Amino acid sequence: MGDKIFRLGCDIGGTFTDFVLLDDETGAISINKCLTTPRDPSDAVEQGILELEEQAPQFVDNLEEVIHGTTLVINSIIERKGAKTALITTKGFRDVLELGREIRYAPYDTFAQYPQPLIPRSLRLEVNERIRSDGSVLKALDSKEAEEVIDRLVAQRVESIAVCLINSFENPLHELMLKELIEKKAPDVSVSISYEVLPQIKEYERTSTTVTNAYVKPLTGRYLSKLSGRLASLGFKGRLFIMLSSGGITSVETASRFPVRIIESGPTAAVISGQYYGRLFGIPEMFCFDMGGTTAKSCLIQRGEAGVVPTFEVGRVQRFRKGSGLTIQVPVVDLMEIGAGGGSIAKVSKMGTLQVGPESSGADPGPICYGRGGAEPCVTDADLILGYLDENYFLGGRMKLNKEAASKGIREKIATPLGVPFIKAVWGIHDLINETMAAAAKTHIAEKGGNPKIVTLAAFGGAGPVHAYGLARKLGCRRLMVPPNAGVGSALGFFTAPRAFDVVRSHKVSLNSAHFGDIERIFRELEEDGARALQAEHSRQDLIFRRSIDARFIGQGSETSIEVPERDFSRVTPQAIRRRFDDRYEQLYGRTYPESPVEFVNFKVRAGLPERLLKLPKIATASGRRTLEEAVKGTRPAYSSSSNDFVAHTVYDRYVLGAGVEFRGPAIVEERESTVVIGENATVRVDDHGFLWIELEES
Amino acid sequence: MGITFDPITLEILWNRLISIVDEADSTVARTAFSSLLRDAHDYTCMFTDRQGRELAQGSMATPGQSGAMALGVKGIVNRLDFERIKPGDVYITNDPWALAGHLNDVCVISPVFYKGGVTGFTGCVFHHSDIGGRVSSDNHDVFEDGLFIPLVKLYDAGVLNEAVIEMIRWNVRTPDEVIGDIRSQTAANHVCSEKICRMLEEYHLDGLDDLADEVIGRTEKSMREAIAGVPDGIYRSRGIVEQMEGKDDLVIEAAVEVKGSDIIVDLEGSSPQVNWGGNVVYNFTFAYVFMAMKSIFDPDIPNNHGCAAPIVLRAPKGTVVNCKFPAAVAARMQVGHFLTEIMYRALAPALPDKVIAASGGTPATMNVFYGRRNDGRPWHTVMIRGGGMGAGSRSDGEYVYIFPANGANTPVEIIESDTPMIVECRELLADSGGPGRMKGGLGRRVVFRMPDDEQAPLPPVNLGIQSGRYRLPPEGLFGGKPGARARFEVNGKTGNPYGLTQLFPGDVVTIDVAGGGGYGNPLERDPTMVEDDVREGYVTREAAQRDYGVVIDSETGRANLRATEELRASRADSAG
Repeated sequence: MGDKIFRLGCDIGGTFTDFVLLDDETGAISINKCLTTPRDPSDAVEQGILELEEQAPQFVDNLEEVIHGTTLVINSIIERKGAKTALITTKGFRDVLELGREIRYAPYDTFAQYPQPLIPRSLRLEVNERIRSDGSVLKALDSKEAEEVIDRLVAQRVESIAVCLINSFENPLHELMLKELIEKKAPDVSVSISYEVLPQIKEYERTSTTVTNAYVKPLTGRYLSKLSGRLASLGFKGRLFIMLSSGGITSVETASRFPVRIIESGPTAAVISGQYYGRLFGIPEMFCFDMGGTTAKSCLIQRGEAGVVPTFEVGRVQRFRKGSGLTIQVPVVDLMEIGAGGGSIAKVSKMGTLQVGPESSGADPGPICYGRGGAEPCVTDADLILGYLDENYFLGGRMKLNKEAASKGIREKIATPLGVPFIKAVWGIHDLINETMAAAAKTHIAEKGGNPKIVTLAAFGGAGPVHAYGLARKLGCRRLMVPPNAGVGSALGFFTAPRAFDVVRSHKVSLNSAHFGDIERIFRELEEDGARALQAEHSRQDLIFRRSIDARFIGQGSETSIEVPERDFSRVTPQAIRRRFDDRYEQLYGRTYPESPVEFVNFKVRAGLPERLLKLPKIATASGRRTLEEAVKGTRPAYSSSSNDFVAHTVYDRYVLGAGVEFRGPAIVEERESTVVIGENATVRVDDHGFLWIELEES
Repeated sequence: MGITFDPITLEILWNRLISIVDEADSTVARTAFSSLLRDAHDYTCMFTDRQGRELAQGSMATPGQSGAMALGVKGIVNRLDFERIKPGDVYITNDPWALAGHLNDVCVISPVFYKGGVTGFTGCVFHHSDIGGRVSSDNHDVFEDGLFIPLVKLYDAGVLNEAVIEMIRWNVRTPDEVIGDIRSQTAANHVCSEKICRMLEEYHLDGLDDLADEVIGRTEKSMREAIAGVPDGIYRSRGIVEQMEGKDDLVIEAAVEVKGSDIIVDLEGSSPQVNWGGNVVYNFTFAYVFMAMKSIFDPDIPNNHGCAAPIVLRAPKGTVVNCKFPAAVAARMQVGHFLTEIMYRALAPALPDKVIAASGGTPATMNVFYGRRNDGRPWHTVMIRGGGMGAGSRSDGEYVYIFPANGANTPVEIIESDTPMIVECRELLADSGGPGRMKGGLGRRVVFRMPDDEQAPLPPVNLGIQSGRYRLPPEGLFGGKPGARARFEVNGKTGNPYGLTQLFPGDVVTIDVAGGGGYGNPLERDPTMVEDDVREGYVTREAAQRDYGVVIDSETGRANLRATEELRASRADSAG
């Protein structure tokens, strides 16, 4: 049995680190979950792997790939815990980062708040140089002055420098010179230049993206090299991949150079697994809902596809409001993340009302019931008192929860100050966090043109299945799906993620005067770059390249993307491309104008490794295994919102539920990493693969 | 009686209305030609029900266009003969009196057909960079302002009205851009209309009427509840708007009456209309009165017909705030934008925490540059920009926004790729924020150079400016000091910002936009906040001492608290 092949997915969240080990032959899965170790996240990775070895002895020897996602990068931006970073820019433009695009995102709100830039004005320095819009040099870089600027930054103990010069996307000469000078004079300081991070027009978007990259680069680099070292010391000889925000995966080397591309690395995994299930079961609209300890991530998946957007914002100062965050222009899966998790803290607001989240107690100290010093009542504390969680079966019994302390906390900090009955306060915490998530979900679904009444809600994450029923009721969803191992189920996405990397080159040329042979050469170079980014020892035949062109009417400011399936562009006719453009334009905007000239702007390639499919193992049928009755662990009182009281819920052991069985709520289904709560007016069916399908009746 | 909606469905549909119009909005950014639209976002998309009542507008709309459009589109819809409207019809007009107050704002309106009948209208107003005419704020009448398009069909049952397009083509300087942008308007309406029908189908609705009643009704109720919380009374203020040399400044008199849940604004006593730019049509005046009221009473609720229902505006005909045809209106924002701060000043004693001091971005600054490249090709670009916002009771003024209007800047790299000009800097101006307990927002400088090398444009380059605050700075509130004035210089010498300026290769133009007014006594500002401002270069050390009475140690950069206390005490003595 020595030639088994394993793959390991590992997701570091704010509270828990999840592991999924896949036996590639059989599709069998082993899972594990342990508390995140914020001081050195690779501690938890090592601990989790060692624990997994108890389930699959010596699997590390046969481990081919580790695919990793982390919320570390985004948290360091939100919490402003990145490196001390400086910006070097063209004389006259140090305020570009602060001025942004100057639009008021809430036109009628005089007091709207705007995010502070990651670099204060005193660390934004200017150099004399100037490139023109055609790429020619108007004023050569003054290297002597540049050296002085670098010296000043070194004296201020800057850890990272971003360089973004006006028009550098047309000619990177001065940025490259500055990079060389910094590397020479300050070899310990990390450098990010805009030409390498985002070679695209518009100085604010490029500066903001480059600065964000610089801000998280030292920390990401240190972390990833530490992680690689840890894995090697455990005997791992395979390849380590990092999840990209766009849903692809990339090498450690690329992730360390461009950490801005892995900002949404953690949450993306859930979306990818949602996409996989959506396709597998042919669900036209699925709302993927992943609630962990710190945040809830959700995404509407339509016909098996989640949207990817070219730009996004982090650290919105006004929740949900577009435009209130820092702009980052990298492709990212279109998901929504809000501060709602099991660790979300409940408190009495200044107005004397109940408030839950977005602050979280995280992994350390965590909710009161963890008994690790947490003193603030959290959502998990409420879930425990409401009977949804079993104090003796949290993480399969590995962590004993303290119900008494949780009750005391909520009574003293919430119920008494609010002057409401104890149980009302407890239920209020659970219900209010559901309400917050529902409000955000409705906006997201509406924005994508979805309809909550026909979506299937898919629940992931430790807290997801606990809250999914309440959320579905608030949204008006009729069907709920809980995959096996839902508590870590999102980590399955690591195995179904396209192993792909996107590369782009800007080159403006009119369709009529373009030399298609030259364009073929650009595509080939891009394919080389993409192959390198994947660091594939694979031969070129194994790689799949998807080409596309961004084109527009001459004079327009934005592009329409057209696919280029042809393998040799020099043999494509201009008429064929033109027709493709017109078809697409008409489809999007209702009319096209064949007499107006068109130009090419960007050439793009997505390089990918062949998809590796996942075998979903079947579970035994009820008759072949055990009857429904045998899966019953007992009953316990849990709170029912429709009865406004505790009612007896039947508790099932998920590992004993056979395929094909059906039962009604009120019920609780327990597995090690999560608990599924089902209210009174619903029926549950277990399918061949162990998925729970819950139909909600009108209530 | 129409159908009723449960609260969940209503909330979802309401969100959907907004996301539909926002999608139309982003269609503009993707299909438009001029940078004023695609980069600076000077446009508004909206749609109405069958009666022309506004149901939703783009989330980032500029309040002037959207407020004026809400009235304008309703007026136009009420004039249409429903019997004769056909699917595929598209209307176009830029009548300033019917719509948004100047010729550059071109509106395209399309009926939405569903189940064989009209269920609503989609409309969008774009600020076209070029509408021909003489691009200056000293035009004598609307005929000098440019091409006037009355309400005509652009498409008749889906067939393009070529005559209209030809008429436009020969009356503007950059026809490809203008016509490309009109195409973008029809695309935005198309996307909007398609999504509305898809929503109706999905939710099995016969039309928008019941939903409109519910959404508009709830909105009006929410607005009225907020107004009712203010004590009844008449609150007055007067605004003075500076004019070009040789002309009298304009006066706007305002009496704001709060009566139960109604607000009646009377502008009786304001200056008569003038024979130069800066006259404002009723719709546009209403838009900025409305902006003030919405921002004070209910800034968060999505904007629709219901928000405006409690507000009545009386503006005497023939005054500068309700001018008659054929007054020159091209520079309507130079006066119209002031309405919001005039309302704020009237209501400040009653609602001191809901208003801000005057803003440097009032009025928005607009620069129109046009000319020919060295190969003879025409170029034409419009840039809009704001200044420092006024401070509030608990907040410093934000740096550099257009207020009360809205819009984004045009990226420097876009300016340089679209025009032959070089932008030498775009930076904040230290000490330009009005001192106060809360500091006014900083103003900003932009410097343009006309190259004189092989890429020099053919002389001359024309520059038209619309702005203000060169003589009268944005005032503070409750003891706060005014922000810095605006400046306009050509080659280091003060230029005339209210006329048309001709520039030649080698010329350098400096445009400083004003800072916002401060709020409260500057001697009460927390010294550590002044220390932070000095460290980051927003306030100089000298100004810290002069304006705030804060002594900053030149060695450590820290505020010397004892010296500050003494200095402030001596100032208070001499003031007392």
